[in-house]
Amino acid sequence: MSLHSAPTTDTTAVTSAATSTRDWLIASAAAIVALIALYAVFMDHGTVIAATGNYLHEFAHDGRHLFGAPCH
Amino acid sequence: MSNPVLALLGRGLAAGGAAGLAAGLFSLLAAEPLMDRAIRDEEARSAHSHEGAAAVQHHEELFSRSTQHAGLVVTGIIAGLALGVLFAIAYALVHRRTPQAAPWRRALVFSAAAFLAVSLLPGLRYPANPPGVGDSGTVSDRQELWLASIVIGVLGMLLAWQVSVRLAERPAPVRHTAVALTVIAVLGAMFALPGNPDDVPVDATLLWNFRVLSLASHAVLWGVFGAVFGALGLRAATVAGAFATAVGNRSAGRNGWAQHHDVG
Repeated sequence: MSLHSAPTTDTTAVTSAATSTRDWLIASAAAIVALIALYAVFMDHGTVIAATGNYLHEFAHDGRHLFGAPCH
Repeated sequence: MSNPVLALLGRGLAAGGAAGLAAGLFSLLAAEPLMDRAIRDEEARSAHSHEGAAAVQHHEELFSRSTQHAGLVVTGIIAGLALGVLFAIAYALVHRRTPQAAPWRRALVFSAAAFLAVSLLPGLRYPANPPGVGDSGTVSDRQELWLASIVIGVLGMLLAWQVSVRLAERPAPVRHTAVALTVIAVLGAMFALPGNPDDVPVDATLLWNFRVLSLASHAVLWGVFGAVFGALGLRAATVAGAFATAVGNRSAGRNGWAQHHDVG
């Protein structure tokens, strides 16, 4: 049985579609928050997240260099 | 059993926090001495080239070096948590047919794939540079290139996986050759990106050691991540009473990567 074969019927069929949709919406929101966090930590220079000025960049400075993010 | 994506998200956050902490502490001990030396070297260089009062310090000194040391660990934890969320969602999507199966082996395979796609390949294309390297005039170009290399890495990994899945019925040599050609094409695309435009006026040994430690920190991150994510998955499977699944995984695990898509 490969991944693209028909899914077997199991207990997930009992799950209401609404619950599943809600869970995926929560997951999508979490993904957006995660992407914003990664942007803030590795990319921001105070231009987009203006309130932080250069503080965020300087605080995350060593992490940027070490994890290979471009830095000035 | 409800939709498992939230359970996977929780696992991703726990594994990501632990992995980020481990990578942050590892790099604090192993790489900070190098970064401090690189900054002293840079200040010495700029004191030479701009005489006297014009000598620029590395930064505007918003934070002391010790605060930036702490910032390294905090950065690691935040990055770990965020990557954990994205990892969990990708895992839930890829394994949506059989979300409970083979938690340990899948976690290790998945984090090895993530290490390759977002850490190792982009890190080879655009190697990390220590403080003191990097022209602020080119930073947005370099950010775009670095992001492009990560996007190519992730899409390339998905492409190689899909090629392997879609050729599942074919003989292994055909499938493996097709995957290898895909990997070569992806590497070609990644290395066709323009190179880093900046000069690297740093001692070669320091540079090499820094880059090795950078990749090692990524490896610590994904290694700890995979182990914690997998262990939490195993525990959840056991708690759910899915002993049959666990036994099935153990025997399927010996068949390795080639059988990956047939499990469960």
